[in-house]
Amino acid sequence: MQTPTTLSRPLAQRVAGLHDPRAPAATAPALPASVIEAAASALDRGETHYTDRPGIPEFRAWVADHLRERYNVMVDPAEVTITCGSTEARFVCMTLLAAPGGSVLCPGDRSPIRGAAHLVGASIVDSVQDDISLLYITPDDYRETSIELLRRAEETDWWIVYDLSFAKTNPPFHPAQNPKLASRVVTINSLSVSLAGWRLGWMAGSEMALRLRAGKQAITICTTAVSQWAGLEWARTQL
Amino acid sequence: MTMNANPNIPEEVRAVAADGTQLRYALMEMAREMDDVIALGRGDPDLDTPPHIVEAAKAAIRDGRANLTPVKGMDDLRAAIAAHLREVNGLPVAAENVMVTTGGQEGLFLAIQALIDPGDEILVPDPRYSSYDDAIHRAGGIMVAVPTNREDAFNLEAEAVEAAITPATKALLIVTPSNPTAGIVTEDRARAIADVAIRHNLIVIVDEIYGKIVYEPWRHFSIGSLPGMAERTITLDAFSKAYAMTGWRCGYVAAPKNVIDAMARVKQVTTGPVAAVSQWAGLAAITGPQDCVSEYLKIYTERRAVLLDGLDRMGFAYGEPRGGLFVWADSSSTGIHAAELSYLLLKEGRVLIFPGTAFGDKWREYVRITMLEPIDTLKAAVERMLPVLERYQL
Repeated sequence: MQTPTTLSRPLAQRVAGLHDPRAPAATAPALPASVIEAAASALDRGETHYTDRPGIPEFRAWVADHLRERYNVMVDPAEVTITCGSTEARFVCMTLLAAPGGSVLCPGDRSPIRGAAHLVGASIVDSVQDDISLLYITPDDYRETSIELLRRAEETDWWIVYDLSFAKTNPPFHPAQNPKLASRVVTINSLSVSLAGWRLGWMAGSEMALRLRAGKQAITICTTAVSQWAGLEWARTQL
Repeated sequence: MTMNANPNIPEEVRAVAADGTQLRYALMEMAREMDDVIALGRGDPDLDTPPHIVEAAKAAIRDGRANLTPVKGMDDLRAAIAAHLREVNGLPVAAENVMVTTGGQEGLFLAIQALIDPGDEILVPDPRYSSYDDAIHRAGGIMVAVPTNREDAFNLEAEAVEAAITPATKALLIVTPSNPTAGIVTEDRARAIADVAIRHNLIVIVDEIYGKIVYEPWRHFSIGSLPGMAERTITLDAFSKAYAMTGWRCGYVAAPKNVIDAMARVKQVTTGPVAAVSQWAGLAAITGPQDCVSEYLKIYTERRAVLLDGLDRMGFAYGEPRGGLFVWADSSSTGIHAAELSYLLLKEGRVLIFPGTAFGDKWREYVRITMLEPIDTLKAAVERMLPVLERYQL
C-alpha cells in the first residue's frame, strides 16, 4: 500500500511560521474520587450529547461566582463560555480582539499567544505603539508594569485579556476591578494543571462575550460534555 | 409564487425573520424557553451513545488513563482509525495519515487553515452547512457556490464543478451525505469529479460525517479511494453522528502526511489535543462491535419513512433523502418565506425546524427537518404543523 506523504499542492503559507507540537507530560496527578464519580455519573445519566453551546449552566454559574468571590469582579454567567482548554480561549480572543496587521501588547511571557498571533497576522510588542488593539497580561507579569499599562488602557479602546491559566501567583488583583476597564476585560482560566487531559478552560466577561462565544462555536461547537461535569466537580471541591 | 409579502404574517415576525442565520440561533433560544417543543432542528441524535462505548470511557477514567495525549491523538486510536478507513472506505492510509480532532467541525477548520491562503477560491456545493463559512473567511478564502438541485436529489455534478473553476481555485469541498440536503455523491459522480480534480490539480476536502448513515439502495463512496486521489484528498469524519456521540467532541482527519503535520501545528495553538476520555470512547467505537451503527440506521430508516409521509400530507416536495439525518423540503407550496414559516411553526405549533436561508441566502423556499425524534413524536410534529399551515398558507 502506498500511503500519501505529500499534498499535490503547497500548504498555506501561514503554516511555515508555526512550530511542531510539544510532547505531552508523561503522567498526571490522580483524580479525587468525587471527580471520577461525577464523570461516571454524568455518563450514566446520558450526558453524551451536545451541551448548551457556551457550556453547561452549572459550570458557567460557578465561574461567575468564582470571579465575584475571588476578585470581586461581576460577570453574568451568560458572559461565560467554557472552552477546550485555555488554548482555545486564547485563540478565540486573539482572533476576535486582535487586528490583523496590528499589534498585541504583551509585557511578559509571549509564548502562550505566539502561535495564535501568527495565525491572526498580528505582531506581539512589549511597548506602547499606535496600532495596539489588545493588551495581554497575566498575574505573573511585573505588577508595576501592568498597572502602568492598565492606566494607559483607560485612555484607549484596547481590549484586555487577563490570563490566569499559567499563573504561578494568584493575587486578588484583577484589571476588571477598575470600572473604567471592566467592560473591556476578558478573563481566561483553565483546569489545565490538574485536569490537563480533559481539556477545560473558560473565557469570561466583556462586551464581546457573545461574539467570543460565537467564535468558539465556529471551531468546536461546544466543549466535551463529560469533561465539563468532571471539571465542575473539581472546581467545586478543589478550588 | 412570491416569497416576499405574505399578508398573514405579522410584522413582528418579519422583523425576527429578516436574517436566516440569526433566526436559527434565535429559534433555538426561543425553543429552549418554551414548554413541550418538538425539536427537529439541531443535528444531535436523540439516541444514546452505545453502552460498550460509555463503559470503555468510564474504565479509562477509573484507571487513570484520561491524561493529556499528543496533539495528533493517541497512537492506538490513530492506528485503529487508519485500519478502519482502509478496510471500510478503501483509503490507502496509515496512522501517520490520521489526526484526531475535536469533532468534525474542527477538522474542517484545521484543514482550511492548513491549506487555504488569502484569495484562494474553494468550491462549495449550494446549499451548504453555513458553519463552513467562518472557517473559510478566517483563512481569507473565497467561497464559490456550486449549484445542486432537487430534481437530481442534490447529487453533485462534475460539469457544475468544472464550470466554477477559475485560476484561483485551490480546493473543492464535498459533503456526502450532505447537510442540509441529504443528497449523496454517488460513485459514478465521484469518479467524474475525481477526474476534474486531477485535471485541474484541485485539493478535495470531503466531509463524510454522515457516511455510515446511507439509506438503501444507496451506498456511501469515498472519493479518496480512487486512483490519483490520495495525494489530493482530505477526508473528514467523526464519531458524533453514526455512534450518537455529539457531546464527546471527537472526530478525525485522514490526509497526506504533510497535511496532518501542518494541521497539528495549527491545532497546537487553537485547541490542543482532544479530551482523552473522548479518545478512549472513540477507540471503543471504532474497534468494538458495529451492530449499533446498523441498528441506528434501521431506526432512522423507519423514521425517514414517517417523516416523508408527513411531508407529503403537508404538500412539501423534496429530493430523495439518500443519507444523513435530515430532510431538505421545498415549502414553496405554502407561499410563506421559510424563515417566517419556521418561526410560526415554533411559535404556534411548538415544532422547531430550521429555515433554508440558514444554509444559503437563496433557499427561502426550503426548510431542514431532522428525524432525530421517535416515530410517535415525528407523527405528533406533523399533526402540530398541519393546522399552522392551514392557518397561514396563501
